[in-house]
Amino acid sequence: MNVVRFMLHNHTQVLELTLEHLWLVGLSTAFAMLIGIPLGIVIAHRPGLNRPVLTSANIIQTIPSLALFGFLLPVPWLGARSDRLAILALTLYALLPIIRNTFTGIRGVDPAVMEAGRGMGLTESQLLFQVELPLAVSVILSGVRVALVISVGLATIAAAIGAGGLGEFIFRGLAMVDNRVILAGAIPAAILALIADTGVGWLERLLRAR
Amino acid sequence: MQEMATHAIEFRDVSYGIDGTQVLSNLSLQVARGETLVLLGRSGSGKTTTLKLVNRLVSPTSGEVRVNGESNEKADVIRLRRHIGYVIQEVGLFPHFTVERNIRLVPQIEGWPEERIQSRVQELMQLVGLGTELAKRYPHQLSGGQRQRVGVARALAADPEILLMDEPFGALDPLTRDELQREFLSLQQRLHKTVVFVTHDLREALRLGSRIALMEAGKLVTVLAPSEFLKSEDPWAAAYVRAFGNGTESLQKRGTT
Amino acid sequence: MRKTSCGLMIVATAALLVSCSPSHTNRIVVGSKNFTESFILGELIAQQIETHTNLKVERRFYLAGSYICQQAILAGRIDIYPEYTGTALTAILKQPASNDRAEVYQRVKSEYERRFALTLGPAFGFNDTFAMEIRGEDARKLNIRTLSQAAQFTPQWRAGFGYEFMERPDGYRGLVATYGLRFAERPRIMDLGLLARALKDHQIDFAGGNATDGLIPALDLFALEDDRQYFPPYEAVAVIREQMVQQHPEVAKTLAELGGSISDQEMQKLNYAVDGLHRDTQDVVREFLREKGLAP
Repeated sequence: MNVVRFMLHNHTQVLELTLEHLWLVGLSTAFAMLIGIPLGIVIAHRPGLNRPVLTSANIIQTIPSLALFGFLLPVPWLGARSDRLAILALTLYALLPIIRNTFTGIRGVDPAVMEAGRGMGLTESQLLFQVELPLAVSVILSGVRVALVISVGLATIAAAIGAGGLGEFIFRGLAMVDNRVILAGAIPAAILALIADTGVGWLERLLRAR
Repeated sequence: MQEMATHAIEFRDVSYGIDGTQVLSNLSLQVARGETLVLLGRSGSGKTTTLKLVNRLVSPTSGEVRVNGESNEKADVIRLRRHIGYVIQEVGLFPHFTVERNIRLVPQIEGWPEERIQSRVQELMQLVGLGTELAKRYPHQLSGGQRQRVGVARALAADPEILLMDEPFGALDPLTRDELQREFLSLQQRLHKTVVFVTHDLREALRLGSRIALMEAGKLVTVLAPSEFLKSEDPWAAAYVRAFGNGTESLQKRGTT
Repeated sequence: MRKTSCGLMIVATAALLVSCSPSHTNRIVVGSKNFTESFILGELIAQQIETHTNLKVERRFYLAGSYICQQAILAGRIDIYPEYTGTALTAILKQPASNDRAEVYQRVKSEYERRFALTLGPAFGFNDTFAMEIRGEDARKLNIRTLSQAAQFTPQWRAGFGYEFMERPDGYRGLVATYGLRFAERPRIMDLGLLARALKDHQIDFAGGNATDGLIPALDLFALEDDRQYFPPYEAVAVIREQMVQQHPEVAKTLAELGGSISDQEMQKLNYAVDGLHRDTQDVVREFLREKGLAP
């Protein structure tokens, strides 16, 4: 229980690093949703686009995160501040689950429902907002959940390039060879991931289409 | 002399092809106001495509479709569809809406005043034989027959003149189908809508239709009143009659309310 | 109704997450890099502020290098950290090195103020530049003090350097060129921590270490003087956020007292106390401040 004592003793720093972490994760996931959900909707409606978009997002995911952080460093405006860079990189990594789940969710809407809706005279936007999205929301949220959990983990690596967050405890602990410090970063990060997972999961179940 | 637009729906030499397949060839057909025109044919005959040409879910590759005298091409497609009721075999009720919300959707987006919407919903539920206690239920809580009743109510909600029905009772058990066919006839007697009804079932066609348009391989074979159909010497019509055995019982059911 | 309250909750959570941008008020956060000397300096700064002001100090030590510290201070996550003028000039400002101590300090200070809204405290007083070490006994026997003097003996010596020194443009190549050095064989490359031992144990005769290595006095090693001024200056200074100084001018005042307070030898002793004697850093620093009359 050394770790607990350490964390309590340094509670301001634990809190501060946790907030930094949430900032990195929250902002990047928000951006990924703002870009990914509309993109997912577009490719769901235009079958020709779905392969290039999904393949690109897939390729980004295969780049090792530390490498991506590394070669974005020389980019002018971006590399000047590592938290900016980290947020961009985290956004990119969050895109695939969100785009793919939006695509799947919308494609998964019963075609009979869409046909009836269209035949009734609903405009494309009415169909999207009143039928497709409400029916797909649970699947989309599941993609957001995956993105959040991935981001919480990746954000710990962002500390390696100076973006702050709970990863900083981990790296500092490694340099000091002090397990308490490492765990003071790892444990809250794991808890954050769990909260994101259960929280969004609960929301998914709540909104699941009948 | 001005041409009077007496036909509710008119197909003028309509053809439709897609991906190299010719689905419809040179279809010319008129549907009079208040009649129930049945499109009869087997799978691949083009009957569903013909139906979808009316509310422009499909657009012809050549020829013209007219609704109430106005060419579909020029019409505002959303307005067109909102004034045509559409009922399909799978029903396609919105699963996340209650029965009530399903029915009220078109009047609502048409901007009807709230009171009028509510009274209309009640009226329709009565019309299609649904108890008002079902208003707050969700589609998954209903039986097949109840769902299709909601489908019909939904299609009639904005009081359209024209109703398109694509094998609406095909997925139901024979008893329920019989019930709904009976109720359809009584509804028609009351409302006098122009109905285009697609089916592959001759008995249903004979029972419900004022005229039967027989289609085969994308072509209109013949258009006959039910009584004439049974006596017809046309090879396809005769084949149909043979396939269904003696059709007279269906004919006798016509007057039954 | 349920959907609306759900929607509100989601928006509220999102807003909360997004608003978590880092900031802190009545605390000073002191950072340091991840080696002993930086750690000691960080602790020195922290204790100085704690003793002489009402401000609370938060320590964020062992950050992995100049880039990380620079990012942290730019983002406002730390307010102060100890840096070296030479490193700031070449690694952060990416400008060519020079040998003039005062000029380097001035250039770094004015560039930092202009570009980053950061300023420098006064130099702590020691120059942690590269130091070419030989055994104390050899220095005394041969009566040499400078690198130029050592040049005549190096052909009989074996040398050892750290990997980085071999690679850096201001490292091995320049040294050899400036002083015309030749060695008996190719220099051995080894871990910095092992150089002093290897020198002591006669495995090598000439080692490229740091001027403030704790082991220099401890193992009776001698750092040769860079009489041709080849190595750029690496004076330790505090890098400070200007915004913080504006809010808390007392911090700048109290840090100024540390200016020139540590000589090369004193830094060596402090390093040795922590690295060699394994004493607690906080105790070592507290003792030092007391001795200097900077703390009660």
